[in-house]
Amino acid sequence: MQGQNQQQAYDRGITIFSPDGRLYQVEYAREAVKRGTASVGVRTADGVVLAADRHARSPLLERDSIEKIHKADDHVGIASAGHVADARQLIDLARRQAQVNHLRYDEEIGVESLTKEVTDYIQQYTQTGGARPFGVALLVGGIEDGEPRLFETDPSGTPYEWQAVAIGGDRDEIQTFLEEEYEEEMGLEAGLSLALRALGSVSDDGLDATGVDVATIDVESEQFTALSEDEIAERVTELELEGDDDE
Amino acid sequence: MSKFPDLPGIKNLDANPYEPELASFDDMDADADAGDGDAVAKTGTTTIGITTDDGVVIATDMRASLGGRFVSNKSVQKVEQIHPSAALTLVGSVGGAQSFIRTLRSESDLYEVRRGEPMSISALATLAGNFARGGPFFAINPILGGVDEEGSHVYSIDPAGGVMEDDYTVTGSGMQVAHGKLEDRYHDDLSMEEAEELAVEAVYAATERDTGSGNGVYVATVTGDGVDITGYDDFEGAR
Repeated sequence: MQGQNQQQAYDRGITIFSPDGRLYQVEYAREAVKRGTASVGVRTADGVVLAADRHARSPLLERDSIEKIHKADDHVGIASAGHVADARQLIDLARRQAQVNHLRYDEEIGVESLTKEVTDYIQQYTQTGGARPFGVALLVGGIEDGEPRLFETDPSGTPYEWQAVAIGGDRDEIQTFLEEEYEEEMGLEAGLSLALRALGSVSDDGLDATGVDVATIDVESEQFTALSEDEIAERVTELELEGDDDE
Repeated sequence: MSKFPDLPGIKNLDANPYEPELASFDDMDADADAGDGDAVAKTGTTTIGITTDDGVVIATDMRASLGGRFVSNKSVQKVEQIHPSAALTLVGSVGGAQSFIRTLRSESDLYEVRRGEPMSISALATLAGNFARGGPFFAINPILGGVDEEGSHVYSIDPAGGVMEDDYTVTGSGMQVAHGKLEDRYHDDLSMEEAEELAVEAVYAATERDTGSGNGVYVATVTGDGVDITGYDDFEGAR
């Protein structure tokens, strides 16, 4: 191989570094995440909010078949962006590891421990021959020792902890919005509004309640709670995030 | 059938969650087969755990015997620290108990270094029960005593993996004798000093009447600050 081809050769195998120290396959996996619809996580004083854009490409598609937010254990929820099929594998891993913790120690797994179980697994797919990295990023939110925690996983297998974060399409724009609007002392309801407004900030024709998935894990109950379509619609109307129908 | 792809170098997620992560029990089979044979050292033993508001007191005798009829060692330390604020007693097969302690100690260290906080005592008890039940037959009946955010705990762990918490508990061949003392003297507002004295008295009573127990006493005090273990080869020194 010569010339241009030589550059390309470094993206053929996952276990090969480019001369400037990059893993192209991992970077391509990050691009796959950007092609997915956005998910947002907000950590508030009294719980974590996960919100995700799940608008359908066709009105004939059953909305509930679009999976964006999942319950991992009673006290942990996971939102995804990127390849749904890849996300399903990692979410099943998270659910299993949560149960393994119950079996071994008779205790709920910590959000940080659970995230790291997942990221350690993702990392192995950046170093193993014949494998491809996971084309998905996750937001892992829940309650640990009475405190709300919010983590992100990316295709390299690095865990990050956040106060508020966006993954997937329009990530940068949404993140900027969150950085401007986030307040540390906000309550769960304010966090919920912020998450919806953040998703709405990048939508040209407004937010449709049926195209958004929302779940909370509050400190009080320590339970994952998915919001119903009506509960979401109520807030979307209140926040005036709907699009103008006659536009 | 494995749910996750079996690629070389990728963590096997179908591993038995009840198994210890580091220690292997494979080399323990010989000991398990040895069963009740007279050649296997047994602790015979009286071990006592008492909770107080300030911590846990554990007292153990110092005798190892063969078949309960020959004293094979007169200075055995039958209580060991396995966690920053927990200790376990050796009761039953010496080899089984020592291996059990090594395993729990490394699991506890691994948990703490990974998660940045020590295991709770109830988690440690659950794990101990899992190993006792899931491994080869250890032939042990230890007491786990420890202190965590919830307070002071003692658990007895039986050979089949049963885990029972109590305010005070006794295991070993001298348990009936020691229990007599504890039933009379235990109350729920003992100080650590009173609990130490009572535990020593109860071990002493057992050593007087149980042939599997004797030769002195080890006393462990467990508080939120750590574990302190002292041996006394005569009871006068301990009282």
